[in-house]
Amino acid sequence: MGLDAASLLQVLVWGLVVGSIYVLLATGLTLIFGVMKLVNFAHGELMMWGAFLTILIAQSTGVNPYVAMIGSTAAVGLLGVAIERLGFRPLRGTAKINEIFLSIALILVLQNALARFFVPYFRENAQIRTPYATEYFSLGLVNLRYDFVILLAVAWAITFGLWFVLFHTAPGRDVRATSQNRAAALLMGIDVRRIDMLCFGIGSALAALAGSLYGVVNPFSPYAGTIPAIKAFAVIILGGLGSVPGAVLGGLLYGVVESFGTFFLGGSWRDAIAFVLLIVVLMVRPQGIFREGA
Amino acid sequence: MPRGLDLLAVDDLQVGYGKIQVLWGVSLRLAAGETVAVVGSNGAGKTTLLRSIAGLLPPVAGRVVFRDRVLGRLPAHEIARRGLALVPEGRELFPWMSVHENLLLGGRLCAERLRVAENLEWVYGLFPVLRERRRQSASTLSGGEQQMLAIARALMSNPSVLMLDEPSTGLSPRVVESIFEVIAGLAQRGATILLVEQNVYLALAVADRAYVLERGRLTLEGTGQELIEHAAVRQAYLGVAEG
Ligand SMILES: Nc1ncnc2c1ncn2[C@@H]1O[C@H](COP(=O)(O)OP(=O)(O)OP(=O)(O)O)[C@@H](O)[C@H]1O
Ligand SMILES: [Mg+2]
Repeated sequence: MGLDAASLLQVLVWGLVVGSIYVLLATGLTLIFGVMKLVNFAHGELMMWGAFLTILIAQSTGVNPYVAMIGSTAAVGLLGVAIERLGFRPLRGTAKINEIFLSIALILVLQNALARFFVPYFRENAQIRTPYATEYFSLGLVNLRYDFVILLAVAWAITFGLWFVLFHTAPGRDVRATSQNRAAALLMGIDVRRIDMLCFGIGSALAALAGSLYGVVNPFSPYAGTIPAIKAFAVIILGGLGSVPGAVLGGLLYGVVESFGTFFLGGSWRDAIAFVLLIVVLMVRPQGIFREGA
Repeated sequence: MPRGLDLLAVDDLQVGYGKIQVLWGVSLRLAAGETVAVVGSNGAGKTTLLRSIAGLLPPVAGRVVFRDRVLGRLPAHEIARRGLALVPEGRELFPWMSVHENLLLGGRLCAERLRVAENLEWVYGLFPVLRERRRQSASTLSGGEQQMLAIARALMSNPSVLMLDEPSTGLSPRVVESIFEVIAGLAQRGATILLVEQNVYLALAVADRAYVLERGRLTLEGTGQELIEHAAVRQAYLGVAEG
């Protein structure tokens, strides 16, 4: 590929598209970390459950996949609520290692459950097919896929919606309070365990939405969530653990850097960029770009 | 003394951290409108007592009765909802929120919005410096301002009992004086206050009665004046407090 403006712009668009998916993933992860001080290593598996359920709903009912995403996102959100309520809540107050073991167990359970149902139908890979797969906007220099436009609109509508709720409503204030000082939140009359459950549910739903959108632009398997989730971990460390604005900015930045990195260095570098970036940021600014808990 | 009016009664409370027991059967009463102090030296268990009453630490044995209801193992947020507020040791503010948002969180238990607005005016009146700093994030306040914010935040819910854990810690004498003026004012206007202090003179100056807590046990009880005069208190605490 030549180094002309058109391909650079194409690379930038792709960076924004994957970046938006990372934003959704990382926001969910950081929301959960913020209130529960817990890293759910199975975040990538919830993501693939979202993609899988979207395909299942779309194919079995014939609805537009973007409509099917509403169902899959809600379903995985409820799954998240159940996981918090029945899995992580009883572990609160015990050694941190128990939470780590549980989330690793969840990786195996969620992945294999998916593989059990998935592989007979799709063999190795599937992709969510939308009615607009071959439609483009022509923007002079670049052709923009309809799906990219819809993906960006959905991802950013949800991100701004979440930001508005968190920073401009009373329930959002309760969430931020729980994240910043759990004991004080209790003293204010906040039922912090309900906040945990809620945030785990919302975080899981965001992962499912990220997975569904990922499935529109990438082929996927039950195991495809692992690498994006690792990148989302990198992003929330970059952005400052527990910081939603940090996750949003970090995710977008990460997507663009990865896209350009892949373009200039070659595809084999793609997944290494996360760690290079992570190491550099941790050396320069160990607390992340934003402060924790904001 | 008739005890029907007790707002808060602590009966034989025993509390610990894991295997380490800290409170060994503490009993105290707080009548409506009364200001009671618990004084004691470092590590006596004062913070443990208040955190346990507030529901942040489950008791091993004994009980807390608040407004004629046994709190039992009620979660802390339910206890707060019933009107028991704690200004915790170390202030425990929401560091990355503005003064105003911290206060709104304090007022989230108010049933009506109008009440929140009224209470904001009230606490800004008590601590005018907070009004000046209302847009500033709590982490950027001075120690004294943080303590004022912690008290104001607790007052925002119009609690029926206000518990204060060492509001004088780490503050300059001038700031301590202005904070205790506010506390004394609240007490005079009929607030019910349980005040924990290491600084015995300060505590006894505003309290109607006081208890002395020593290594997890209440060892003395009396009116402020009685305790000041009590030789044991003099020797054990006042000397320390003056030094
Ligand atoms: N989280 C904890 N785990 C174990 N032991 C604790 C814990 N918190 C307090 N303690 C112990 O309990 C005892 C009482 O502590 P507490 O904080 O209640 O004392 P205090 O009277 O408030 O002291 P200070 O005046 O220094 O605030 C101390 O011996 C302390 O070491
Ligand atoms: Mg203490």
